[in-house]
Amino acid sequence: MIPSEESMRALVGHRFAGGTYRIEHWENFLLSEATGIDPLPDGLAHPAHLFHVAINGVGTTITELFRLAESGPGAPVSIDHYDWRIRQPLREDETYVLAGGITDFARTAREGAPTRDSFTYEIEIDDTAGARVAEVAFCWHYWRIPGAGEAA
Amino acid sequence: MKVAVGDAIPPFRMERVTPERMKTVAAIYRDPTPLHWDREASRAIGFEGRLLNQSPINLGYVINMLMQWAGATCLRRIRTEFPQPVLDGDAALAGGRVVSLSREGDETLAECEVWLDREDGVRNLAARAWVALPEDTA
Repeated sequence: MIPSEESMRALVGHRFAGGTYRIEHWENFLLSEATGIDPLPDGLAHPAHLFHVAINGVGTTITELFRLAESGPGAPVSIDHYDWRIRQPLREDETYVLAGGITDFARTAREGAPTRDSFTYEIEIDDTAGARVAEVAFCWHYWRIPGAGEAA
Repeated sequence: MKVAVGDAIPPFRMERVTPERMKTVAAIYRDPTPLHWDREASRAIGFEGRLLNQSPINLGYVINMLMQWAGATCLRRIRTEFPQPVLDGDAALAGGRVVSLSREGDETLAECEVWLDREDGVRNLAARAWVALPEDTA
């Protein structure tokens, strides 16, 4: 069952709870190593943290994003784009304050192809003094293939 | 040495993408997607049981290239698309070139076309990056 376009479009404007995130040394070490380099000097955190710091720090999870889009386990999800703007480098053991939400939706339906629902998410990351650290935007496509991981 | 439009960025090579690293990243990201750790899930969608690397890690290889070129705090913006996944066992090669230079405040920014390719030439990632250049190269 494909969710109605109206119900999906109604998610535009949804705000996540917001929250804080602190990158610990162990996760910076492991994530840096996963990209193939040693941790950066002087407590700098690898920019690849922006993905999960944004999602988890703003008070949601990947699972919750799938649930909001009514995309169940096994349903195909693909990436349209990421757009990361960095105003200050990320650092270990700094507390970041996050806010954001769902800012756009589009449904694409073509003859002979699965329906595709595209959501854009935008999340702002500030330091505790209120200075902007980064802006993270990303767009995911949720493919509505009958029988493939429909949400319960 | 001064940076000029058209300059190639020294590449970054990930010799082999491993399932162990994908599992570590899945835990850090709290990413429930089984395509990163369950070969049956990968087989079911036509990837022959090979696991799919997380896209931010593919982006991480490109960022490593930029940081090794222009410094650890050089990245100002990156906008990326992912035409094809990187699979476990792949080698991945990040490359790029400078397409324009501009002055923003007290920084010189290099706009760069960057990418990540598999060994067989398939493009996994295509992006634009804006990088602040060190003063002695700007």
